[in-house]
Amino acid sequence: MKFGLFYELQLPKPAEGESWDPDAERRIYHEMLEQVELADRLGFDYVFEVEHHFLEEYSHSSSPELVMAALSQRTRNIRLGHGIVLTPPGYNHPARVAERIAALDILSNGRVEFGSGESSSDMELGGFGVDRGLKKAMWEEATREICHMMTQEPYEGFGGEFFSMPSRNVVPKPVQRPHPPLWVAASRRETTMVAARLGMASLGFGFETPEELGERAEEYWRLVREECFPIGRAINPGLAVLTTFMCAETDEEAVRRSAGGPGFFAYSLGYYYNPATGGRHDPGRTNLYRQFRDLPREGQDGRSSLWAAGLLGESPPTEDEPEDEVQRALFRAARRGPAIGTADTIRRNIKRYEDNHLDVLVLVAQCGDRRHEHIMEAIERFGTEVMPEYKERHETEHRPWREKRLAEVDCPVNSSI
Amino acid sequence: MARHEQIKDEGLRALMDEAHRQLRQGKATDAVHTLSDAFVSMLRDHPELVHTATVVRGRKMPLVARWPAYGANLVVDPGGRDEPRIEYIRDRFATSEALTYYEFTVDTALSQGL
Repeated sequence: MKFGLFYELQLPKPAEGESWDPDAERRIYHEMLEQVELADRLGFDYVFEVEHHFLEEYSHSSSPELVMAALSQRTRNIRLGHGIVLTPPGYNHPARVAERIAALDILSNGRVEFGSGESSSDMELGGFGVDRGLKKAMWEEATREICHMMTQEPYEGFGGEFFSMPSRNVVPKPVQRPHPPLWVAASRRETTMVAARLGMASLGFGFETPEELGERAEEYWRLVREECFPIGRAINPGLAVLTTFMCAETDEEAVRRSAGGPGFFAYSLGYYYNPATGGRHDPGRTNLYRQFRDLPREGQDGRSSLWAAGLLGESPPTEDEPEDEVQRALFRAARRGPAIGTADTIRRNIKRYEDNHLDVLVLVAQCGDRRHEHIMEAIERFGTEVMPEYKERHETEHRPWREKRLAEVDCPVNSSI
Repeated sequence: MARHEQIKDEGLRALMDEAHRQLRQGKATDAVHTLSDAFVSMLRDHPELVHTATVVRGRKMPLVARWPAYGANLVVDPGGRDEPRIEYIRDRFATSEALTYYEFTVDTALSQGL
């Protein structure tokens, strides 16, 4: 099993103030660079960064290509993953995506992972005038053509439903041929299976137990073998899930340092992704963090915050997990997840994911109001005390497992997993 | 084995088989039409599904409200006077959309024991 870090660049407002201090955004950007530099030195395999717009406090990462360009010069080995880039043309013209992906691949000497997605929040869709009912079709059309742009010389041109352009040679071309490995954001089961059929790795919230993951992986790989119609020129089969992360000397300290991070992550995500709340967001004025902090303490584990935000139906929260798979993911993310605790605790917990053939576990350390020095220590502890044995077993056990399945696949493969 | 082959209802399985064939042939729009027929036939044969509840993003809503919203719109009369039907507001559908309709329909059929 391989490991990555995941960045939304969350920046809660001060609970007692109206806005951030003027240095706050500069600080979290530079802290991210420092964290990823450390992760690279320790041998982490991936960093994934999101592209979101206008989702203040939840994510201040609106230009991931710039951040990853900076990382390309400050790291040597860690793969630089778009988790994801928005490909409906209203957000990014497909040719510009192809150009930026290729340029980043050159700058990083072939370390880009091309994750794509369609977005979901009203703030973003409305901000760029992207039709919610058409965004999936837009994503598919654009992503397919981006792959053509990266491989055709010249690009043949396209007259599509959502964009058109004449023949041009889109330059530069990426280092990785035919193109960087393809990923798609996929939190629901349905989307993960679509990913399999399109030959893309799936990057989503860890919404299932390790055993459920095992069942999903089995179906995913069956589809890759038997029903794959690649969207690109090479496939990248793989499953990656996100989980919140904090590693410290004791379990209690890890939970304390984790604090409201996962809870705020779940709360703010639920807020923006629920049209009832996110669609009525008051830009520049709402203080999400204060709303979160004003919840009853027992509600700050995420479960109650989802309920208080109207996301857990009409009943008071119970001990039962939400039935809906995405809400279950948020619920679990907000509770103590498998990667919160001591090195020993985490090692024991994540073993079940390895046993069920998860390819990549992506760790969400930067969330809520977590402190940079705690994140750095967590990365250091995990990287030195937990990761090495997993990386070794990835080579000796998981890679042969994958190769056996890939031997039955007809399509060209380009994967870093 | 494709998952739709586990569906017990012969008529429904036949429709899903046709949709699966269309998907493999790259006929996404045809597949969406066939899947729409399949889902509507499921609702007609099992009208209790119209009132089956599920939870989406924490909110309770009818299962039928989870039918993907890509332009093959499901029209349901909760009072049961009119039969469920599909209203198409788009002429063409993408492969990823058709695949999502397929996965949803199969998941629903299997989870309901059909």
